[in-house]
Amino acid sequence: MSARSTRGLLAALCAAVALGGCGVGAGDGPGAPVGLAVTRDFGERALIEIDDAKVAGADTVMRVLRRNATVQTRYGGEFVQSIDGVAGGRRGGRPVDWFIYVNGSLTDQGAGAVDVHGGDRIWWDHHDWGLTPDVRAVVGSYPEPFVHGDAGKRLPVRVECADPNAGACKVVADKLIALGIPIGRSNISRSAADDTLRILVGPWSKLRGRDAEAVAVDAGPRASGVFARFDASGEELAVLDPRGATARTLRAGSGLVAATRAKDRQPVWFVTGTDDAGVASAARALEEGALSNRYALAVSDDLPIAVPARAR
Amino acid sequence: MFHVRRASPLHAARAPVAAAYAAALVTAVLAFENPLVLGAIAIAIVAAAMLAGVGRMLLRAALFGVPFALVIALVNPLVADQGLTVLLRLGELGPLGRLDVTGEGLIFGAVLGLRALLVVLAGGALLGATVDADELLRGFRRISVRSALTAALAVRLVPVLGRDARRLADARRCRPGATPRPGAAERLQIVRAVTTGALDRALDVAATLEVRGYATPAAKGGRRHLREPWSRHDLAFAASATGLVVLACGARLLGVGGFDAYPLTVVATGPSEWLLAVAIVAVAILPFADRRGVLR
Repeated sequence: MSARSTRGLLAALCAAVALGGCGVGAGDGPGAPVGLAVTRDFGERALIEIDDAKVAGADTVMRVLRRNATVQTRYGGEFVQSIDGVAGGRRGGRPVDWFIYVNGSLTDQGAGAVDVHGGDRIWWDHHDWGLTPDVRAVVGSYPEPFVHGDAGKRLPVRVECADPNAGACKVVADKLIALGIPIGRSNISRSAADDTLRILVGPWSKLRGRDAEAVAVDAGPRASGVFARFDASGEELAVLDPRGATARTLRAGSGLVAATRAKDRQPVWFVTGTDDAGVASAARALEEGALSNRYALAVSDDLPIAVPARAR
Repeated sequence: MFHVRRASPLHAARAPVAAAYAAALVTAVLAFENPLVLGAIAIAIVAAAMLAGVGRMLLRAALFGVPFALVIALVNPLVADQGLTVLLRLGELGPLGRLDVTGEGLIFGAVLGLRALLVVLAGGALLGATVDADELLRGFRRISVRSALTAALAVRLVPVLGRDARRLADARRCRPGATPRPGAAERLQIVRAVTTGALDRALDVAATLEVRGYATPAAKGGRRHLREPWSRHDLAFAASATGLVVLACGARLLGVGGFDAYPLTVVATGPSEWLLAVAIVAVAILPFADRRGVLR
């Protein structure tokens, strides 16, 4: 091989390395603090909660966990077996395992393949997945994904209301604006772009059937990952336990804050209720403190109820 | 197979004892991942080989073993993604996924490579150079005469076949127009000739053994030998082998010589680890101090 062709080959190799995201060292670190939560039983019991987790360079979700917790892995370090001694497997005859949410969305890759970005909130939860392993979106990382978006990219946010003049619609919009999030407001739309984060606000009777994600919620936890169901009239809200059984039935004045996600689309949040009073309660509950580590939140008489409810 | 009689205490010990000594060194290698302890075992193996007069053979084995150790050391950081200190980001590599080379992966790869090399040196070179395979197999005959006979024949015939191959290669070079090095077709011819020769020889050996009465039931027990008393070298190396195994097991049970590869490399290097390292070297080379009765 001539010197000229060798130089050309080296130049091509360097270009390929540079374009392929390769480099020497750990890479640039995230510019903003990364939050890490490790919980059990759908967020019921917190094992670790760190607002500013230890991160070095361009870490992955797995490395952030390993820097901040005692972890045992399997399959060559790609999958977590146990965190702080809590292991996946079976409990009481039911399958349990660790699930990862980054900014409120279930990751579809191994933790070693997911990059961490500034401001991300990483949530590991150990729970029963006998009913469904596919709870694709949760509200417990609020105000994410609205502030930092997905994979380091901020996303457009739209508040869609059944009645744009309703008080609850204004409350939700004002809360997001207060967080510095530019939002758009509109009626319920059927033609949302896939990369838009949407919050649907209104009584369930007016949201029902208006959207593919709303149809999924009516189809139950297996379809939507939301462990709550409204009755046919939309005036009763059943809060389900992890096995899908009704744990509580809420009536007039009850609200629900929940999220779901269709394949290849961004999450859709619901701020809804059995009636206008219930929607207003749900809108008031749209707070970091109330939603923290919740898969979804029901509100009855302004009292928060974790969703899914604890199994009896 | 390359056993050569040397004037050393290890060669003076009976074969099973010398083999147990080598096996104890291998056990110690397999028991630890701590680089400090592995370093001590490496010193013990090299010192034992030199004191036994087989240092050159150990070096020759190392020349074969080092490339394998290097392969292990280099492959591990590419397949293990559990370390936290990223040294090199290789990006997404198709089905392999994201590939990051970490310091911990490199260190553990080096440890695995070193262990593989030490196993080759202790369990291959030192054992082969200091233990008379025939003597070892004679002892084995009491347990299984057929297995011992098979192993003895294999041990004996492999060098014979090697010499056959060399003779055939010499003969090939004597032919008019032959090149100094055989081509692929010529190599194949030599292998075919050697294999044919080996099968013929095997038939001859089987016939000879049958004629000598090896097929009769009386041969199963073998001749009865008077038991030789244990020499001081037998006792010393047996004690050393036992000591090495006890040290390895005891240290593991007591948690001495700990090593965590991931997520961050943690090497225990406290006084107990240093004491263990010194003890391993001392126990391994002390039997060489007594050279009385060693043939010169």
